[in-house]
Amino acid sequence: MSRAEAAENLDRVFAALSDPTRRAILARLAEGEATVNELVEPFGFSQPTISKHLKVLEGAGLVARGRSAQFRPVRLNAAPLGKAAEWLGNYEQFWAESLDRLEDYVKVLQQKEKRHAGKRPGGSRGR
Amino acid sequence: MRASAQEDPVAVEPESARAITIKRVYDAPARLLFEAYSKPVHIMRWFGPVGWPVTLCEMDFREGGKFRFAMTGPSGKQNTPFGGTYREIVKDRKIVYDNGFESKDAGRMVVTVSFDEQDGQTTLTVHTVFQSIAMYRSHTSRGFEQGTNSGLDQLADLAAELQRNGA
Repeated sequence: MSRAEAAENLDRVFAALSDPTRRAILARLAEGEATVNELVEPFGFSQPTISKHLKVLEGAGLVARGRSAQFRPVRLNAAPLGKAAEWLGNYEQFWAESLDRLEDYVKVLQQKEKRHAGKRPGGSRGR
Repeated sequence: MRASAQEDPVAVEPESARAITIKRVYDAPARLLFEAYSKPVHIMRWFGPVGWPVTLCEMDFREGGKFRFAMTGPSGKQNTPFGGTYREIVKDRKIVYDNGFESKDAGRMVVTVSFDEQDGQTTLTVHTVFQSIAMYRSHTSRGFEQGTNSGLDQLADLAAELQRNGA
C-alpha cells in the first residue's frame, strides 16, 4: 500500500466514523456479530438505510460480511481503528491540549526557579 | 517500494498546502519553555493530549540526535511509538525535528518549534509541514468534512471501548 493509499484509507475510516448511526452500529457489533435484520430493530431505520451505512463501513474495512448466503452476519473488524487511534483528536487538538498542559507545567518550573533563587548563597539557606 | 524524496511526486506538492501553524503566548521566559522541551523528565509532564500520557520517552537532545516517544491511551495499551531526529537546535530560540509513527506507510512530518520572547511573554509557534497533502488532510480537521471535535471525542471513547473489548 502506498502512502497515498494509506491516507485515503484513513480518510475513509474517519468519514465512516463521522456518522452517529454508524458509530452506534460499530458499538453494537463490538458485542458480537449481527444480521442486518438484527441491526434494523434497535435503530429504527429501514433495511435499505442500514444497508447503506453498512456499505460505508465495509468500504472503510471496519466491518466484514459473513459468507452464509442466507443471513450474512456482519462482523466488526477493529484493525483500521488502530490507525485511526494514532491520530485521535486530530493534530490541532493534540497540540491545543499539549500546549494547555505546558502552560500549567511552565508555572511549576517558574515556582521551582523562584524557590531556588531564594535559596542562593547569601539567601536564607544554611543557618 | 520505498521511493526517495526526489522520486516521490508528493514531495513537490506546495508546502503551504500541507503545513499547519499553531501559536500560543505564555507568561514565561523562552528559556523555561525551551527547558520543558529538552528533557524527558519535563516532556512526560506535559506532552500529549489529556488522558494520553507519554509512557516511552527516549531522547538524545542535540542536533542529529534521535527521539522516540509513545503514549498510552485510555485503554491502557501503549500506542505505536513515533519519533525522528533533531535537525536543528538553537538554545532558547528554536527546535526543528522530523517525526512520524513507526508504522508502515505512516508518512513523515517536519516540525519547527520557535520561542519568541518579548517583554516577559513568549510566543511559542509549532509549524508542521506534512510530507503530502493527503497526509495533511488525514491528520488535521480539514480532512474531516463533517467532523467536529465532539464527534472526535465520541470516536475516542468508542475506539477505547472497542480496544478494551479486545475487538
